[in-house]
Amino acid sequence: MLDFHILTKYFDWYMEGLGNVALACLLAIAGSFVLGTVIAVFRISSIRLLNVVGVTYVEVIRNIPLLLVVYGFYLLPPVFGLSAVDGFKSGTLGLTVYTAAFIAEAVRAGIISVPKGQSEAARASGLTYLQTMRHIILPQAFRIVVPPIGNQFLNIVKNSAILGVVAGFDLMYYADKISSKTYITFTPYLFVGMFYLVLTVPISIGLKLLERRLSQSN
Amino acid sequence: MIEFRQVNKYFGSFHVLKNINLTVKQGEKVVIVGPSGSGKSTLLRCINRLEPITSGELTVDGIAVNDKKTDINKLRRDFGMVFQQFNLYPHKKVIDNITLAPIKVLGVEPKTARETAMFYLEKVGIAEKADQYPSQLSGGQQQRVAIARGLAMKPKIMLFDEPTSALDPELVGEVLDVMKTLAREGMTMVVVTHEMGFAKEVADRVVFMDQGQIVEESAPAEFFANPREERARVFLRRVLNH
Repeated sequence: MLDFHILTKYFDWYMEGLGNVALACLLAIAGSFVLGTVIAVFRISSIRLLNVVGVTYVEVIRNIPLLLVVYGFYLLPPVFGLSAVDGFKSGTLGLTVYTAAFIAEAVRAGIISVPKGQSEAARASGLTYLQTMRHIILPQAFRIVVPPIGNQFLNIVKNSAILGVVAGFDLMYYADKISSKTYITFTPYLFVGMFYLVLTVPISIGLKLLERRLSQSN
Repeated sequence: MIEFRQVNKYFGSFHVLKNINLTVKQGEKVVIVGPSGSGKSTLLRCINRLEPITSGELTVDGIAVNDKKTDINKLRRDFGMVFQQFNLYPHKKVIDNITLAPIKVLGVEPKTARETAMFYLEKVGIAEKADQYPSQLSGGQQQRVAIARGLAMKPKIMLFDEPTSALDPELVGEVLDVMKTLAREGMTMVVVTHEMGFAKEVADRVVFMDQGQIVEESAPAEFFANPREERARVFLRRVLNH
């Protein structure tokens, strides 16, 4: 079953796929963290319009399948006469937009758990609402939500396999290709699993260490 | 400097402040006392609009605090506020707690802000704690940092919201000492407190509140020796006789 011949013969494809997965994940992690934080701030804002935008975003995006979000980016633009978005881009965008909804919920929970006195002290000293968010509330909120956000980052890595569905030149895409070329149905995917572990296990360990460090510093 | 004219405030249907009239002049030390739930803290928090008022007029240096056209962030620079729960920023070192607002709000150079911060830390007697985090300090030390943080903005008025109520009894003195020093130096102060000794010693005027009203307003010697109102007499008997 474990035919290492496949790994060595198609090593370049695997590396290409691994590189694309890593790039997609880095972009999606950074993008969803920023977007999720913005949505979270919208959701707790006292401005009604922002509030509605935030709530709608979260409730729509997190309640439809990731595959649909990716298809949205992949299939819709040509329908509206726009130029097509390639598989890698639409997969990465889909991952970003989808995961941002979950990160927004986590960050919102973090913001709410920061004691009210913190923003009162900051506002009383003349800081604006946004300065208070940036310097006082969000830094404390992020510390609280490292575990759930870390989970979302891991989910991004695993969910990135969706790129294979839209020809995103990721590990799954190449495994499909190898499989159809060699008529070997299982082994090519086994190596994909292995490469995913190479990506996720270090993230897992890193998050554990970060959690431990933060709990000590407070 | 601070003027309340017929101020009312409701929390929903609960009438917290009833027809408040109060004037605080520059350099005055006004101490607000009264039973829990009498509206003392709410009154104080209205002054820098942490709480909006429902009706009436509230002005600071002639500026209407609740006017939509008033730049509240600018107005708040004139106030230093000290809270019951200290509210230091736990993720920032003591020095950074103090320099944040001067740098971000007043645009002071970081180096100058640090020097000012050290000056005030020295003044409240804990310069050696500058590079520690708030959680490494005792309650009394944290509250002194909070006072230094307020002073670093060079405010015209200091507001104290029960500054010693969350402290262990043996730590109350160190905070009151700092406040007494400030009072001697001529700072305008509005203090909500249960420390009757402090009120007696420092206040120019004692304001006694009960059920959302200012019941009595008089010089401390008079208030403590000879309260006019029955409610004040009952209150004083309760807080002084044990």
